Amino acid sequence: MSKTKTGMSRLLEIAGEKRGLLILSGVLSSVSAVLMLVPFLSVYFILAELLRHASSPGQVDSDAMIRWGWIALGGLIGGLVTSYCGIMCSHIAAFRIQYNLRVRMTEHLGRLPLGFLNGTSTGAVKKTLEQNVDKVENFVAHQLPDLVSALASTVLMIVAMFWLSPPLAVACLLPILIGMVVQSALMMSGKGKTSVKQYHDSLEQINASAVQYVRGMPAVKVFGQTVHSFRKFYSDMTRYRDYCLEFTDRYQSGYVLFKTLLASSFTFILPVGVYMLSGQPDSMSFALVLLFFLIMAPGVSSPLYKLLMLASSTRDIGEGVERMDRLLAQQPVPEIIMPLSPHAFDVEFTDVTFSYSEEEGATAALSEVSFRAEQGKVTALVGPSGSGKSTVASLVPRFWDPQEGAIRIGGVDIRYMAIHELMNTVAFVFQETFLFYDTLYENIAVGKPEATLDEVQAAARAAQCDEFISRLPQGYDTLIGEGGVYLSGGEEQRIAVARAILKNAPVLVLDEATAFADPENEHHMQLALTELMRGKTVIVIAHRLSSIREAAQILVLRDGQIVERGDHDSLIDLDGLYTKMWHVYSGTGDWHMEKGGEQL
Amino acid sequence: MKVLHNITAGKPQQLLKPVLFSFLANIVSVLPFALVIEAVRLIFAPYITVGAELQIERLWWICAGLVAVMVLMFLSEIPAYRTAYRGAYNVAAQGRAELAEHLRKLPLGYLTRRDPGDLANMMMGDFTLVETGISHLLPQLAGAFVLPIFALAGLLFLDWRMAISMFVALPVALLIMYLSGRLRRRLGADHMKAKLNAANRLQEYLNGIRVMKAYNLTGERFVRLDSSFRTLMKESVKLEGIFGPVILTAMALLRAGLTLMVYVGVHLLLGGELGILQLAVFLIVGTRIYDPLTTALANYAEFRYNEQAGERIVDLLRQPVMTGTTAPLPESSTIRFDNVTFGYGGEPVLKQLSIEMPQGSLTAIVGPSGSGKSTVLRLISRFYDPDEGSVLLGGRNIKDIDPEHLLGSVSVVFQDVYLFQDTIGNNIAFGRPGASQQDIQQAAEMARCHDFIMKLPLGYNTPVGEGGSTLSGGEKQRISIARAILKNAPIVLLDEATASLDPQNEAEIQKGIDALITGRTVIVIAHRLKTIRGADNIIVLEDGRLVEQGRHEALLLRGGLYDRLWKLQQQSVGFRITS
Repeated sequence: MSKTKTGMSRLLEIAGEKRGLLILSGVLSSVSAVLMLVPFLSVYFILAELLRHASSPGQVDSDAMIRWGWIALGGLIGGLVTSYCGIMCSHIAAFRIQYNLRVRMTEHLGRLPLGFLNGTSTGAVKKTLEQNVDKVENFVAHQLPDLVSALASTVLMIVAMFWLSPPLAVACLLPILIGMVVQSALMMSGKGKTSVKQYHDSLEQINASAVQYVRGMPAVKVFGQTVHSFRKFYSDMTRYRDYCLEFTDRYQSGYVLFKTLLASSFTFILPVGVYMLSGQPDSMSFALVLLFFLIMAPGVSSPLYKLLMLASSTRDIGEGVERMDRLLAQQPVPEIIMPLSPHAFDVEFTDVTFSYSEEEGATAALSEVSFRAEQGKVTALVGPSGSGKSTVASLVPRFWDPQEGAIRIGGVDIRYMAIHELMNTVAFVFQETFLFYDTLYENIAVGKPEATLDEVQAAARAAQCDEFISRLPQGYDTLIGEGGVYLSGGEEQRIAVARAILKNAPVLVLDEATAFADPENEHHMQLALTELMRGKTVIVIAHRLSSIREAAQILVLRDGQIVERGDHDSLIDLDGLYTKMWHVYSGTGDWHMEKGGEQL
Repeated sequence: MKVLHNITAGKPQQLLKPVLFSFLANIVSVLPFALVIEAVRLIFAPYITVGAELQIERLWWICAGLVAVMVLMFLSEIPAYRTAYRGAYNVAAQGRAELAEHLRKLPLGYLTRRDPGDLANMMMGDFTLVETGISHLLPQLAGAFVLPIFALAGLLFLDWRMAISMFVALPVALLIMYLSGRLRRRLGADHMKAKLNAANRLQEYLNGIRVMKAYNLTGERFVRLDSSFRTLMKESVKLEGIFGPVILTAMALLRAGLTLMVYVGVHLLLGGELGILQLAVFLIVGTRIYDPLTTALANYAEFRYNEQAGERIVDLLRQPVMTGTTAPLPESSTIRFDNVTFGYGGEPVLKQLSIEMPQGSLTAIVGPSGSGKSTVLRLISRFYDPDEGSVLLGGRNIKDIDPEHLLGSVSVVFQDVYLFQDTIGNNIAFGRPGASQQDIQQAAEMARCHDFIMKLPLGYNTPVGEGGSTLSGGEKQRISIARAILKNAPIVLLDEATASLDPQNEAEIQKGIDALITGRTVIVIAHRLKTIRGADNIIVLEDGRLVEQGRHEALLLRGGLYDRLWKLQQQSVGFRITS
């Protein structure tokens, strides 16, 4: 990936888009800009013809004048048509770029480590994929042709004006230049810069607090916070408004002066013209030149102004491209050239050290963790929250790769297995489930795309889904999600188990704390898990110590290290952390709410 | 009128001043053209009338006039600028406060049905569009008609035939623009559908990427995403391709007036009915007259877009709010459901439910998922009002009590806790605004969160992230219990507050809950039946109806649904993970 390219050319590179369409669009837009000047020119020629025969109107070449009228119309229509063609070209290019960018980035996402897309990064990635890409689309589709045509007409006009009369040309451009200097002086001054920054800061703040206000609404309501006492949102909003007003005041004279100057080209041209005219009162040719300027002048400022405005929007593109590049710079999981296949299914961690952050000195989530999960047996992970249980579980399916040490399945380092092979070897059922917007059948068949209906139904039965599925209006063909049915959390989880059963991978990583919404669900879920675990190498994050009493191996984690290991009985004998946890656990089992103290 | 109402988010009167001043400023900006036309007349007078001198002095006067007009323009632009921008920001700020206030008064049910991102965007993005509409688009649109109208009036005096040929196409162009709006809506529907579909597919892809990878489906599922992107691309091109020519036709028609004018003008000139100077004036005016209109046409789409933003706001403001008095609440905090039927729009979730939760008692609600347990709590907190029947607090229908006033007496601990982007101390203080540091710490100690808070780098002043993401689930849960303890409300609602936590956390939370419920009217939903076996009354719901109620032992003896659930759960405790 070449880092030297930025902005537009990098954009085209990412999108894999050829310049052809954009160049065509630029050419057409320039042609259109030139053609759009034809009506003005026609009027000028008509006026010239009129004035030449001013004293004797009867001699006017009426055919020529009407011809100029048609030429004006022709130029106009030609200009509009070429502009349309140019815009269509740029739009097609833009939509193609948009499409390619999305495809390229989503494809890239698919190759990133599984851990990359978690709660926080999903939002940012979605923003990049939608807003930044949309901005790029908007720029390429609309602003680019505008920019080119503004440039073309400005250049043409300036050349023509200087060719006709340099002093008048200067007079015409002078107010625009003064206006620009005034405005940029304001913007660039120290005060101006800081206030721009403050403005953006307060904008960001009010955005954040608006999101918070809405998301926290239930809490806001429960705690009776009125909008005014909801201090943060209100004060952020007031601050934002005050910045805006301050901004408005600050730029008032600059902006108004700029606007006035842009509209005052006559005020500059006419005195110069009159001065020159007084030196040659009889020169009709100069009078015509002056006339030309008076007709054309008001048309110079607006494309020039547009040009300036648009020039700044190219910065946005640079920023958008940078964001996309940051995403594309995320290292995908490398493809193995000569992948190895395991023939046994025990899982072994050797001196695994892992940290979620790549930075030096970041606290390790796991340090030097070594253990062996026997094939066909249960290995349970227990420990306080934050001890690293989930991290151990997520390293097996390669959500992340450890910085040090190795993880092997049947003696094969999982980094040397082809990704699809690893995925076929390891099944995982975590707390978060995900169902596709599709039929129930399709959602279960995900586990084994070539599965027959019988196989799918057998898996569903084993996962205790059969009963609720048969109660649905269209059974297995019921659509999940919008326009279909919504399943309860427990039902969704059993679908996920059914998938895993169908997949029948030899290694199973699971989180026991499935949302046990109610006693019935819990019971079903346990039956489903029992079915799923049969004969597999199981690594389980356990929450109820009672359920792992018969596990072959229990690993007790604390602060990213294995502090105790063994089966239930030997750990109880050890009288360490596990024993303490076991007592707490047995204690909570007895707890129940009861009314004590005095009544209100 | 409706348009004006919408684009100002319901405050059209705010437009009066900006539009008026913009009008004035635009009138002033017509003056240079008038002066220049006079200058052209003077410059060419010698060529038209034989023997006439070039009146240089008068030309200098015109130059002076132009300078004066420039000053006048500057002065007239200032109030236009000030009223437009200041007005816009003030309208938006007031509007945002109003909307925030309105959101708060809406039934929570309405809010939960909507995407919070959408609402937040309305508060910010849509109001920004309204700002632009007021500060920019509308004055511009209004101003765009000043020059043409003045010119038309002036030119009609000069020669009505020429004036009419200049503007004859204007109504047609406006009509085309109006009709194109409808066309756009029609075409836009398909485009919008494609856009939504692509967004949903993208969302699905991002959220489901783990599952896809786990099942080696990245390729297959990708095809669906890809095809939705492709459809969107095609629809976009189609929309642009069809709609573009319509606008261009309108522009072409508008500007074709110039050619028509040349045609008419030449004939009138040759017929001796029009002077050369008059024709020149028409032509000069004709080159520039259409500019503001063209700009207005080009901005029309943006204008409509901004108007829609305002419309969304106006629509939301129109949603009926919950009302009620803030009169002192009844002494008794006994809660009674009297024949309550309620549904979230579709099938009723609660069906003619009549239950009572006496003051100072602990009532548990149990039942299979979907039986309506959480709905009971939501109705007590007046997040919704029942469709039929009534919920009574101390004998008074809570429909007559202002929702916030009612909630002042209710503490709720939800299963998922929302923490504000603020310090931990302030998050607890939400329970009782104005609480002292001591009160906060005491509540935190009772809720068993003091210790972990003190371990944080800044203690109670440690900020927590949006949604409280930097704390674990159990810690967040305990903070919400501390909030509730601090609030010290007579009614406490607990919704599965101990679901899916690890044993340590659970033990801590249990201690917090013990501190919270002492001496209050407590209504609890718990999935572990063991934890509620000491309740004064257990209400068993199934499918929105009351199937049985009573104390733990009595219910077991009945051998009904409760007994069955209890036995299932006893079995679950014996569950062993084995392979």
